[in-house]
Amino acid sequence: MAETCKQFLADCGINPDRLTLEWASAAEAPRFVELITGYVNRIKEKGETGTAEGEADSATIRRRLKAAVKAAEARKPRSALGMLAKKLHKDGEYTKEAIAKGVSSKIVPALRAERIKEEIMLLLKEGPMDIDALCSALSAKKEEVEKPLSQLQKKGVVEEQDGKFKLKGK
Amino acid sequence: MAQENVLEKENEMAQEGFEPRILGFFCHWCCYAAADSAGVSRYQYPPNVRVIRVMCTGRIDTRFILEAFRCGADGVFTGG
Repeated sequence: MAETCKQFLADCGINPDRLTLEWASAAEAPRFVELITGYVNRIKEKGETGTAEGEADSATIRRRLKAAVKAAEARKPRSALGMLAKKLHKDGEYTKEAIAKGVSSKIVPALRAERIKEEIMLLLKEGPMDIDALCSALSAKKEEVEKPLSQLQKKGVVEEQDGKFKLKGK
Repeated sequence: MAQENVLEKENEMAQEGFEPRILGFFCHWCCYAAADSAGVSRYQYPPNVRVIRVMCTGRIDTRFILEAFRCGADGVFTGG
């Protein structure tokens, strides 16, 4: 789960080190204090979300996360998560590498596809856009955008007009 | 302290530097209890963490974490 979140945050343009998972038992108050102090200082160095190195700007991040939350609710990524858990259990392999590999090959692509689809909807709500503008706003490849776009067209949510895409009825 | 002084001090604190907003998910049995006993034994630690107590860290979903960042958190600390 933590691995999924980290990889997906990186996909959304957020430094994955902003999320941390630590263990401190009820009797380890000093350890807890140490962990939390270290963590807060690390975040202080990074600054606000969207300002650290390699992160997208905050408006993009906000839009992306809005789409990402929806993507995390979608059926496909959730069942991918379940399938991976099942597979790991079956193989009896719980090493970090095995989990990271499974997550990056199965879950993150599913989440990314959903995220792009949701983000297209959010972008088109603001106004019509052509495919190149969509690609650069999504920082995605053309084929990654074309597929959900044609699905949305088939559903009748999106329509094409003079090379630009827009939401139907707008 | 007079009210103006308090406000002045608060203003100073706001200008002093960046204070990250961190959301903490703490397990009721482990980290939450550790945080509690850290408080009781008067250890000092930064006040930037807003805590959400969960009954188990296993309860946390990908969505919770994404939602936290969407609401403007600068970091998420999960303590088990």
